[in-house]
Amino acid sequence: MDMKTFLSLEWEIMAPEFIILGIIILISLLDIFMSKRADRKVLGWIGIAGVIGAAVSLALLIDHSAASILYDTFRLDSFSKAFKLLLLIGAVLVLFLAVSYEPKEGIEYKGEFYYLFLAALLGAMMMASSGDLISLFTGLELLSISSYILAGMRKKHLLSNESAMKYVINGGISTAVTLFGMSYVYGLAGTTNLKAISTYLTRNLDEQHIYLLGLAFFMIFIGLSFKLASAPFHMWAPDVYEGAPTPVTAFLGVASKTAGFVLLVRVLLVIFLSVPSDSWPGSDPLLIKVQDYMAFLAGATMIIGNVIALRQRNVKRLFAYSSIAHAGYLLVAVATVSTLFETMWFYLLAYLFMNLGAFAVIQLLTEKADSEDISHFSGLYRRSPVLAVAMAIFILSLAGIPGTAGFIGKLNIFIGALITTPAHYVLASVMIAATIVSYYYYFGIMSQMFFRPQENGEKVMIQAGIGVVIGICAVGTILFGIMPNLALDFLHTNFDFTDLFQ
Amino acid sequence: MNSVPVSAYLALALILFCIGLYGALTKRNTVIVLISIELMLNSVNINLVAFSKFGVAPSIYGQVFALFSMAVAAAEAAVGLAILFSLYRNSKTVMIDEMNKLKD
Repeated sequence: MDMKTFLSLEWEIMAPEFIILGIIILISLLDIFMSKRADRKVLGWIGIAGVIGAAVSLALLIDHSAASILYDTFRLDSFSKAFKLLLLIGAVLVLFLAVSYEPKEGIEYKGEFYYLFLAALLGAMMMASSGDLISLFTGLELLSISSYILAGMRKKHLLSNESAMKYVINGGISTAVTLFGMSYVYGLAGTTNLKAISTYLTRNLDEQHIYLLGLAFFMIFIGLSFKLASAPFHMWAPDVYEGAPTPVTAFLGVASKTAGFVLLVRVLLVIFLSVPSDSWPGSDPLLIKVQDYMAFLAGATMIIGNVIALRQRNVKRLFAYSSIAHAGYLLVAVATVSTLFETMWFYLLAYLFMNLGAFAVIQLLTEKADSEDISHFSGLYRRSPVLAVAMAIFILSLAGIPGTAGFIGKLNIFIGALITTPAHYVLASVMIAATIVSYYYYFGIMSQMFFRPQENGEKVMIQAGIGVVIGICAVGTILFGIMPNLALDFLHTNFDFTDLFQ
Repeated sequence: MNSVPVSAYLALALILFCIGLYGALTKRNTVIVLISIELMLNSVNINLVAFSKFGVAPSIYGQVFALFSMAVAAAEAAVGLAILFSLYRNSKTVMIDEMNKLKD
């Protein structure tokens, strides 16, 4: 490639990524040259400004028609724009949490925190817009490896070390499984470009190779279930959520999960939706054929998450199981495929607000304490009514009570499971049952906040950063619960998801 | 050179992958577990290179992919060992079954 073609590429469609990359380089250099004792919070504020800048530049690109550069490895289509918007909103809120995070023993390496976090965000964004197995894989690993380090950020804290170790081992195994599946997909198609794979396999797939492709599908799906924290790769989540610093836990719960679903949808829909599942012409596509298995995993995830959450006393562990359950609800949308994009986007938006809000409250209540026992919530209503009401909103939304964004999200998934042909009645009923089970532990927190006597009478001080997060999340949860069309109309007017396949 | 069929390479990769998976799931020592994960990742490289030479539609992309996966595997191993170091400093153990502070 000579200089002229290099410059003639449409680099502006990568502007959000370039901004994030620039900020990473800037704050890592600043971190080196700042004096040792200087407060690293300023790096966090630069990071927040950078992410907002990236979001603005993404908003400017919103009318840009679908385009791709670098041999189709980087694609800017409606799908990537819509989900990158979610990632950036989540990242801003998590950075606000991180700026206000002050555990008792302090974090020695606070500067690293911000640029590793932004590197993880960059990986997630690259995943959202990549059109090639290689760039998908590198994006995935940029996200994963940065998150491993983030989980172990409290270097002198044994639980943090242990959670990071478990995360690396689980992550390594799941990466290898995904990659093994990808290598078979490459072998059968002879190219790594998602679009070209799909075209080649639809036309030339040898009937003897169909089972190999099925195997590859399952390996990719199982490996990616690690990122989603869904069965069968969910066991890391409780340990990592408990041991990692709270802002990191919030990031893993929201941004990392969003990235996992983005990757899943891109690989599954682009490659496997058009590939035939049998040798005769006109047979169902592979993705439809394996729906039952995906539905089984979705059901198992919902049941495991909600049932084990019942006996948790540690709040962060409880929310880890709750996040497993939510991954299960989202997998229902993936397994039933109907109106996938809108449903998934809206649910992830709702989940972002309610989960980040809840984690902001958890961080505020537990960062100075030695334990994260649920009794920290006792008598919260008397200590700080505002905080208790905000937490109640998030919990009602997570439980899926009408009037909150979580309810609308769940309703969309539920209806999607019923209107598709054939309708997934079993899956829909499992979802209802799992939701009812979840009321028990969600309302356990509520009863702690409102009905238990307070354990320590101190007032809770709300720092500015956390206050902003709680405010935005509470408003978002209620607003999209009462007027979900605000978000859905925005989605319909600005994005046309069919360009994913062009 | 062509006398070795592609299935032999694939079988080798599959066997290595299974050995790695077995090691990663059963061994007590974390260093061995990390090595087993490396074995799994490297079996993928054999697959990719074999496909790029003898696959259904041979192409150079497989070798490019293998290069990327090697770099990523190295980064992952480095991070894994670094985390193991900081864990060892605090707890003086590298045995997986002694990392049980976090559990239900």
